[in-house]
Amino acid sequence: MRVPWKWLNEYVNLPWDPQEAAHRLTMAGVCVEELIYDELGVTSVVSARIMEVEPHPTRPGQKVGILDTGAEKLQIVSGAPGFEKGNITLVAPPGACLPGGLRIEAREVDGVLSEGMVVCSNELLTGQAPRPLEDIILLPAGTSPGVPASDLFELDDWVMDLDLTVNYSHCLGILGVAMEAAALARRPLKLPEVLARGQWAGPHGSRDPEPNAPGNPEFRLDLPEPEACPRYVGKLVEDVRFAYSPVNMERRLMLAGQRPLNLVVDVTNYVMLETGQPLHAFDADQIADNTIIVRSSKPGETLVTLDGIERELPENTILITDPSGPIGIAGIMGGKHTEVTKNTRRVLIESAYFDPLTVRLASQKLKLRTEAALRFEKGLDPTAQTAVAERAAALIGSLAGGMPVPGYTEANYLDITPKRILLRMQTVERLLGTRISAETCREILERVNFQVDQDVFHAQAPSIAVTVPPRRVDIHGEVDLVEEVARHSGYDSFGTGDLSGAVPGGITDPKLLCVEKIRDLLVSHGGLECITNSLISREDLARLGWDSDDPRGNPVPLQHPLSSEESVLRTGIIPGLVKVASSNIRSGIQGMFIWEVGRVFFPADRSSDGGLPLETTQIGLVSYGVLKPKTWLGGPEEAGFYHMKGVIHSLLNLLGISDVKYLPKAGMPFHPGRSAKIAAHMSTVGEIGDLHPACLKELDIPVPVTACWLSLDGLLSMVKPKGFVPPSRLMPVERDLAVIVPEEVPGGEVVEAIRQTGRHLDSVALFDVWRKPPVPPGHKSLAFRLVYQPTDKTLTEEDLAEDRERIMERLRKDCNAVLRS
Amino acid sequence: MQESCASGMDHDLRDLAELERLILQQISESSTIDELEGVRIRYLGRKGEISALLKHIGNLAPEQRPVFGAAVNALRDKVTQMIAARKAELDREALEQSLARDTIDVSLPGEVFELGGLHPLTKALREITSILSSMGFTVYESREAETDDMNFVKLNVPKGHPARDMQETFYLTGTTLLRTHTSPGQIRGMLALEGKLPVRFIVPGRVYRRDQTDASHHPVFFQVEGLAIDADVTFKQLRGVISALMNRFFGQDVKIRLRPSYFPFTEPSCEVDISCVFCKGEGCSVCGNSGYLEVAGAGMVHPQVLINGGYDPEEVSGFAFGFGLDRLAMLKYGIDDIRLLYGNDKRFLSQFRGL
Ligand SMILES: [Zn+2]
Repeated sequence: MRVPWKWLNEYVNLPWDPQEAAHRLTMAGVCVEELIYDELGVTSVVSARIMEVEPHPTRPGQKVGILDTGAEKLQIVSGAPGFEKGNITLVAPPGACLPGGLRIEAREVDGVLSEGMVVCSNELLTGQAPRPLEDIILLPAGTSPGVPASDLFELDDWVMDLDLTVNYSHCLGILGVAMEAAALARRPLKLPEVLARGQWAGPHGSRDPEPNAPGNPEFRLDLPEPEACPRYVGKLVEDVRFAYSPVNMERRLMLAGQRPLNLVVDVTNYVMLETGQPLHAFDADQIADNTIIVRSSKPGETLVTLDGIERELPENTILITDPSGPIGIAGIMGGKHTEVTKNTRRVLIESAYFDPLTVRLASQKLKLRTEAALRFEKGLDPTAQTAVAERAAALIGSLAGGMPVPGYTEANYLDITPKRILLRMQTVERLLGTRISAETCREILERVNFQVDQDVFHAQAPSIAVTVPPRRVDIHGEVDLVEEVARHSGYDSFGTGDLSGAVPGGITDPKLLCVEKIRDLLVSHGGLECITNSLISREDLARLGWDSDDPRGNPVPLQHPLSSEESVLRTGIIPGLVKVASSNIRSGIQGMFIWEVGRVFFPADRSSDGGLPLETTQIGLVSYGVLKPKTWLGGPEEAGFYHMKGVIHSLLNLLGISDVKYLPKAGMPFHPGRSAKIAAHMSTVGEIGDLHPACLKELDIPVPVTACWLSLDGLLSMVKPKGFVPPSRLMPVERDLAVIVPEEVPGGEVVEAIRQTGRHLDSVALFDVWRKPPVPPGHKSLAFRLVYQPTDKTLTEEDLAEDRERIMERLRKDCNAVLRS
Repeated sequence: MQESCASGMDHDLRDLAELERLILQQISESSTIDELEGVRIRYLGRKGEISALLKHIGNLAPEQRPVFGAAVNALRDKVTQMIAARKAELDREALEQSLARDTIDVSLPGEVFELGGLHPLTKALREITSILSSMGFTVYESREAETDDMNFVKLNVPKGHPARDMQETFYLTGTTLLRTHTSPGQIRGMLALEGKLPVRFIVPGRVYRRDQTDASHHPVFFQVEGLAIDADVTFKQLRGVISALMNRFFGQDVKIRLRPSYFPFTEPSCEVDISCVFCKGEGCSVCGNSGYLEVAGAGMVHPQVLINGGYDPEEVSGFAFGFGLDRLAMLKYGIDDIRLLYGNDKRFLSQFRGL
């Protein structure tokens, strides 16, 4: 909301400059997002008396006048009705500037010199030509000539642009902001006379300013749905003449972000901006049968709204109707047919209370977020309708000669009893950590129109009974009053404290601790951590060959994604990492080893709570290209299956998981001959492999890529606390063993067989694979280093030979192995 | 006979002097350990000349023995000593040669170890976790997919509440969604503690909002939620914890201010502003010339939220805070575009490998 500074100061005389006021308001919760100096760029426009006027010699309707600006006499040609001898007006002499950079020059009108121009409000405020029926500005009789326009009108002003939180509906009118500012400055608030008479914003709500006026019999009103429209006030004004608003009112509306139209409409907007209560003006003569019915929309109903657009009215939209059909969308926008025009003579001012949620939903459905709707949906003062209608009617009466008809057309189903809340000083201290006296609380609350009853002061447990003005729809309970006291005291005034009681903190969940250790391990192995979007596309999954047969090809979709690129929840980390690899390849990065730890999602199964998707944590790893450049010492080190497998080995070592098998051939997206399922303790915890060439082609990646995923939840469930074995006093013994096996025997099986068969074996390391002569074709030679760790007695050569024979016997039987001599 | 004997001994003594000269010359001329060892064996070995002379003493007349014996022993000692000295000299030379031979070019580069690195968001989160850990906060991880009830209703945001506009939501179904903030973690965390006190944990993690991606928005980003509940937790303590966090994360000179704001699940509520880390509060484009940066939302836990978490607002009070991890990391590292965080360009990530 935009608050013009001079307008604000009409209600409270603030002791601050706009900057200071903006700061004070912001620190009290009325957030001033921006302070703007709004300048029109009007210069040298001054008041002038029209000394004499004669008809233009040749041009009918035009007049030639002599104007006195005090400093000079100017001859000016004008056809305006107000251009008459004796009137005081505004003149823009040659050299003067109007908005939009318009510079005035002397010119000839049919052979008569015109030294400048006399201006109308539209020219002064927008630099545009007069509107239909618009006269030049006529100043009060006593105005001296030569007074600059900027001294006569609020042309240039500071504007505070407020960014209000949704609970601050009481600041949706400038008076509301003024009340906050007045409280902060401890200055009195000056209400317009009608509002003061109606006790607007008082602790018990507003009253009818004309309580004794008779009800208005001219209009019939029917509120068949009081939940949606519980209160409706219609105020009739007769004998309205078409007029434009006074310059200052137009300018204030402009500063507040509204376009002036005509006096009646401007007044409804002006009073809405002033009080926060939206108003609408109908041309009363266009309302059929003088009858207003506020009801829900019927299927197929349409309305041409004020903006000229014909709108289909969604179901459950509350409408203002007459017997012929809709004439307005309640709380959102009026209809074109009943709009106030230059011919309007009778005006019905609508001042109503609509259900916030109903307005909100309709406004969302219609995508029509009008100033009125934005106010109604936040919840307004349910008592202010008559006072505000009266204020508008009085303004129209005083400015356009209209005659407000005493009384209202009114229906009211609301029974507003102001809330009474007990505020205990103990609660204030308990929440804020600072003692604030009951007296201070009372002062603060009374300054913003709460009523505080003193009779409940108690020395032991002091507390005050607070009556909440009905306009303060944000105040529900004691804590809301604590906030009210706190924000007016200043949030930064309570000092700083420490949490009492030493409590051990940090990561206590062993699983989370493991994750951090895994992160460190991956970093130490050269992995760069990535964080990728968990919203991906179905195409990302399809490119990896995860189709509808695969659970990973059936992701959880978003109902209303922003784009198809981010339309489903990821079912794996690899899709995101592969995209990272791809974009880095396109940037010319020669190689990368990247990883990510994050959640993956699968559709809810029947047992899950609340229909929530299954959420598990996964580690994804991807590598390609040169990981370590070739140096004079060797290399390069390339990404590939065995590099990745080595990393996984370290990771599983870290977790103390040693019962791990790599079962050949994982599914898509992996190369069938260069991939494996990773099984720990007999259950699959992940997959590893080079990407399938078909995937690489789909992904448009020109180099081999290796990938792996691990189920973190699966792995962490296998982590068990481990004891230790005291180191043996005996020296370990090393022996080498080389065997020749047929090519189809997996090396891993040979290792496993040795490990299972050998006694006192500490480790088995494969250090050579040889496929050339003398190894026969179709065979390979595998060379192992066996490290024995005797525990109780030194191993003799006989013991070692015996073990070697035992191992060979097993290998001959299970692996078709022969000893390589 | 006597004379001849005497003259014979004189002769032997003269020979001894000659022998000594010869041996010493040979020692000094030995250029290797092996040569020196040859000299030693030749004279001091069991069959060496000096050993023979010692045996020869027995053949001398008894009166000649002491003189001659003493001379030979002296010779033996001297030779032994000289050989040892020469050996030490040769050892030293050999060592020096081997040192020279084994000298390497230390200017050549060493083995390359490619350092991996944590993502800047992880780095920032670790720092924040460590700071808050020191104040007794533990880490609680909550779900990313949530129910409407947990994400909104339990946090005082019923259907139709205008506060729902503050957060554009990705719905999965009519009742499930992607959490728009880490705040539902407050409720889940409280319920998990089953009324135990004190409550002091943080909930870090991803949150989701229907925001078009630009330099400061990404539909997925990270928040860290904090919650402390006990018999006497106050707004004053909230300020203390937030100040300590910001001062340790950004530096001691950062000033804190708390500005009244609105969150349905806290009351009183505030925005946490810190003095701009770029202009030190002077005003710059980053802080919109205000000198302050908005970094977090916070407040005292709303009584209804305490009740929803299984705590009695008449017995306990609490504070909660929540901030955008992305924003804090971006401010700390001077990153001006959030897309860099999710683009994962190696040249970007590599710069965060150090401390
Ligand atoms: Zn700055």
